[in-house]
Amino acid sequence: MKRQRFIKWATYVSLTTALTLVLAGCAAKGGEATSSTDSSAAAPAVAKPVEGGELTYALATSPDTLDPGASGFAVSHRVFRNITDSLVVQLQDGSFQPWLATEWTKSEDGKTYTFKLRQDVKFQDGTPFNAAAVKANFDHITTSARGQAKSLIGPFESAEVVDDYTIKLILSQPFEPFLSGLSSAFLGISSPQAIQQYGDQYGKHPVGTGPFKFVSWTENDEIALEKNPDYNWGPPTADNRGPSHLDKLTFKIVPEEATRIGSVQSGQLLAAEAVPPQNIAALKNDPQFQVDQAITNGTAFSLYFNLKSDIWSDIKARQAVQLAVDVDTIVKTLYLGTYDRAWSSITPGLLGYDASLENKIKPDLDKANQLLDEAGWKKGADGIREKDGKKLILRYLDGSPNREKRNDIAAIVQQQLKAIGVNVTLNITKDTSTPLKEGNFDLFGNSQVKADPDVMRSIFQSGKEYANGGTNWSNLSDPEIDKLLDLGSEESDLEKRKEAYTKIQQYLIDHAVILPIYVFPYTVAHPKTVEGLKFDLLGYPQFYDVSIHK
Amino acid sequence: MAGTIVTRLLTSLLVVAGSSMLVFLIMYVLPGDPVLQMLDGNATSPEAIADLRHQLGLDQPFYEQFSRYFIHLLQGDFGHSRITQDPVLPKILEQVPATLALTFVSAAVSIVVGILLGVLSAIHRNGIIDVLARFVGLFGISMPSFWTGILLLLLFSIKLGWFPAMGSGSWKTLVLPGIALGLVGAGFIVRMVRNTMLEIISEPFILTLRAKGLAERAVMYRHALRNSLIPALTMIGVMIGELLSGTVVIETVFARQGIGRILADAIMAKDIPVVQGVVFFTAIIYVSVNVLVDISYSLVDPRIRRST
Amino acid sequence: MKDATALKPLWKSERKRPARSWHLGASDLFLYAAELVVLFLIVCAIVPGWVAPYSPTMMDAAQLLQPPSVKHLLGTDYFGRDVFSLIVYGSRDSLLIGLASVIVGGLTGGILGAFSGYIGGWIDQVIMRIIEVLMTIPGILLALAIAAAIGPSLINVVLAIAAGTIPRYARVMRSQVLSVKNRAFVTASRSIGSTGFRIFRKHVLPNSLAPFLVMATIGIGTSILTGSGLSFLGLGVIKEIPDWGTVLAQGRGYLTVAWWICTFPGLAIALFVLAINIIGDRLRDKLDPRKSGA
Repeated sequence: MKRQRFIKWATYVSLTTALTLVLAGCAAKGGEATSSTDSSAAAPAVAKPVEGGELTYALATSPDTLDPGASGFAVSHRVFRNITDSLVVQLQDGSFQPWLATEWTKSEDGKTYTFKLRQDVKFQDGTPFNAAAVKANFDHITTSARGQAKSLIGPFESAEVVDDYTIKLILSQPFEPFLSGLSSAFLGISSPQAIQQYGDQYGKHPVGTGPFKFVSWTENDEIALEKNPDYNWGPPTADNRGPSHLDKLTFKIVPEEATRIGSVQSGQLLAAEAVPPQNIAALKNDPQFQVDQAITNGTAFSLYFNLKSDIWSDIKARQAVQLAVDVDTIVKTLYLGTYDRAWSSITPGLLGYDASLENKIKPDLDKANQLLDEAGWKKGADGIREKDGKKLILRYLDGSPNREKRNDIAAIVQQQLKAIGVNVTLNITKDTSTPLKEGNFDLFGNSQVKADPDVMRSIFQSGKEYANGGTNWSNLSDPEIDKLLDLGSEESDLEKRKEAYTKIQQYLIDHAVILPIYVFPYTVAHPKTVEGLKFDLLGYPQFYDVSIHK
Repeated sequence: MAGTIVTRLLTSLLVVAGSSMLVFLIMYVLPGDPVLQMLDGNATSPEAIADLRHQLGLDQPFYEQFSRYFIHLLQGDFGHSRITQDPVLPKILEQVPATLALTFVSAAVSIVVGILLGVLSAIHRNGIIDVLARFVGLFGISMPSFWTGILLLLLFSIKLGWFPAMGSGSWKTLVLPGIALGLVGAGFIVRMVRNTMLEIISEPFILTLRAKGLAERAVMYRHALRNSLIPALTMIGVMIGELLSGTVVIETVFARQGIGRILADAIMAKDIPVVQGVVFFTAIIYVSVNVLVDISYSLVDPRIRRST
Repeated sequence: MKDATALKPLWKSERKRPARSWHLGASDLFLYAAELVVLFLIVCAIVPGWVAPYSPTMMDAAQLLQPPSVKHLLGTDYFGRDVFSLIVYGSRDSLLIGLASVIVGGLTGGILGAFSGYIGGWIDQVIMRIIEVLMTIPGILLALAIAAAIGPSLINVVLAIAAGTIPRYARVMRSQVLSVKNRAFVTASRSIGSTGFRIFRKHVLPNSLAPFLVMATIGIGTSILTGSGLSFLGLGVIKEIPDWGTVLAQGRGYLTVAWWICTFPGLAIALFVLAINIIGDRLRDKLDPRKSGA
């Protein structure tokens, strides 16, 4: 049962032989007794995980800070997820289980959450974990100037200590994604003593309750963690109950693809993230290695039309582009079958994903041409359409360097749109911030990692434009959508939420506001001796169960 | 001579100051809103943006920001990184040794390989050795250093396993990046040494020396080589700047620590205090090397000593 | 030929039969080959359509990552584009980047350096300090500043590369002028009453040009490499038809999977650099006043 859900929601795809799949399956079900909260029965006995050893793990980029409350980077999350635990854990099916909190209640009006906390938990600096500590963390987040934490807690107002192990979190209005936010490591609980002791340097000395303790961070080189020997409060998603199997967990920062992957192939490192599609096939054929792929949920990588642009505020023009861009070809060409194409603004793993959008839009050049003709764009001598002496130009903005081959998508779109007489000009630059702020673009590519469909609120609600510090790239402003987004955020009835999000997703495609391109799989290459690597709903790696087979 | 050196040192200070000012100016006029970039779409309200802007002092007029930066700099305060919140000075000092080691090794590769091949090639002009030496020299300047680096890495680290592919710990980690970066400079020095040696060989004073019956070997090494060192020395002075720039690329390829990588990241993220700090350091390194080069000019070529 | 020069003392062959003894040897073959290569690339740059079998923008999803074959001489890239056609068309921007940045950087640097070295005094001091300030600014920062100032285009790549080379040219020119202006024949000319500018034009400049020209020729090649480095850092220009350096930087991730994608553009650069250097050498011999009998 659990396994099926696992596949459905997580798309934890093991790209190796059937044998490994079986092994991984066994490992995922685990050898030791599962917790009472876990519905699955104890799995058949497999070889006990090997204790000890050091996992060296190559990251492609460097974290900004290891203060969960101040960071905005996914890569930082990958590191401090091991150092701090969260109050709750979100399962692959989107539901929640206890972690540092044993139980919780939501008030009738949806504005107050009361959490009972575990009483046997200690921070790595020896100080006790309790309600006061949780409150201190929320105070820390609300005073911090930036980071994802602040947006994850939404309309959070205050934290109230009820007793030593009970805390009340009060919101100014109902906020359904709240638990999902709490499960994120960005809201992982830090030791208040450490926060106070290190002040603004806390990000270099993180202390939490997690399975690994922070040891050192040598910038541009490595971040070293070691086993927390007292740990026995792992989340129900893990098989392990005691301290981690690994003695040491060391993150190396290796930006260059060839170096990162090569280091694993030559045995200098044990695992590397962000495996390029072209290397996945080669590694797949190597009996010594395994490539894990986990879907990162959130918004799919999509191209956002700037609705404030002169030309592209016209829905017909946008629909023509929608029909002329052959997404299948793009995804197959660039990702060689390792990425799935996207159909909607959000990924299939999120609540309310509208599967009816799949296969809805098919490339149709004739219709695209017809739409442009209707809109008054006539082909000129050079094959580019014109209207009132103005050329049909699409300013495609994309960030540099070429992350996930996004610049190459731009290159293909440029060629594909030639066929309908659209002149695509590429602006591939380090500084996407200026054109975004000034609105000097027609199409911009982006994706966001979040576990709740509420992620769309920051992208499609009016007032959240980039110049206002938000991420409404499209400058979409539609009262109907605003209302639906608010409803989705506040409505506690699951079905009603889903309905709202379905409507929004359909609107975005029907009005050709976005062109969804791909769903990003987080990839990790490692030798088969590394076992037990798992991924959470957001595709973040989980190291607690990892062991290194000799 | 002593007076010259003092003047030189004083002007060097001016150079460092000028460089700091120029960087400040460049970073100031660079478009892109550092605050929006830092928030990365996570701002919860317009007030949050204004707060952060104020906190960073970015809401103040240019001259305020400028003078504040320099007053702090004079007090030895390089400020804090806007991304990691670290104080800039220790952050850079942590990275400097790795960059210095890499610069030193690659300069050594450049000089040794460059002069050796250059001299060989001049002595055996148009012989097979000349052709070979020049080809080897060209090898270094006909490929971008990241490409040479990746090729070396694939062959010597990943295929053969002789050297580590990454890191900045032991001397072994310096070999491949040192060669990748050093070969570029070597290519230039080979050409310089060869060409100037050939020129000097045709100078009258060498003819005179020959006529006096000085041994061929002595003519070549004591006089011709010595006189060709000036352009080679100039090259080294010039190259230090380029080597420091080159470290940006090579440190990335080999995942080494270093101020080059810090700089690249900081520039991308508009982390202005870090950019300024790093450029301040590279300026110091650059200026010191060039003072040394200038002094050694006078030692190698008495004519310059007379003229200055 | 080789044996003759190897055995004979060098300066004799230099003096008595300038640049004659090796005129028919391997060097000449190299020179012809080099001229042929450069000529071919110039043709490619001007009329790529005559040489390339395919359009450089034709993306054939059915022909991804194909190894070299009769149909695709140098294979296809990750878009399914023909690598040979890409190189042929890419020669235009590559040569343009090379030449333009040498002209901009070399002229600016050369003039500054010559002026500074010849005049000397405080003007020299000021110019050289400004040059030094420029040198302390890392190229990547300059590139970014320039790109930001005029937007991503080929011109900003050229200016960024050129700006980084100005100090190099200036310093080499200056040191050469410094060294030449104290030589016997210049002093002699001054003693017979020649004016400053005449001495500079007639004696100092011609005698200082050789190393500068050598640098400039090499510079054509290295500019392409620098441009490639900028692409590596994500500061290059992404165009429909990329120059060689950009192909090299962007395709480097495919090296272990499809070696032909960037090996051939890499070879194109190497071949071009090699050819231009051989030609540069001959140019040096021709321009050297002592050898052309001046």
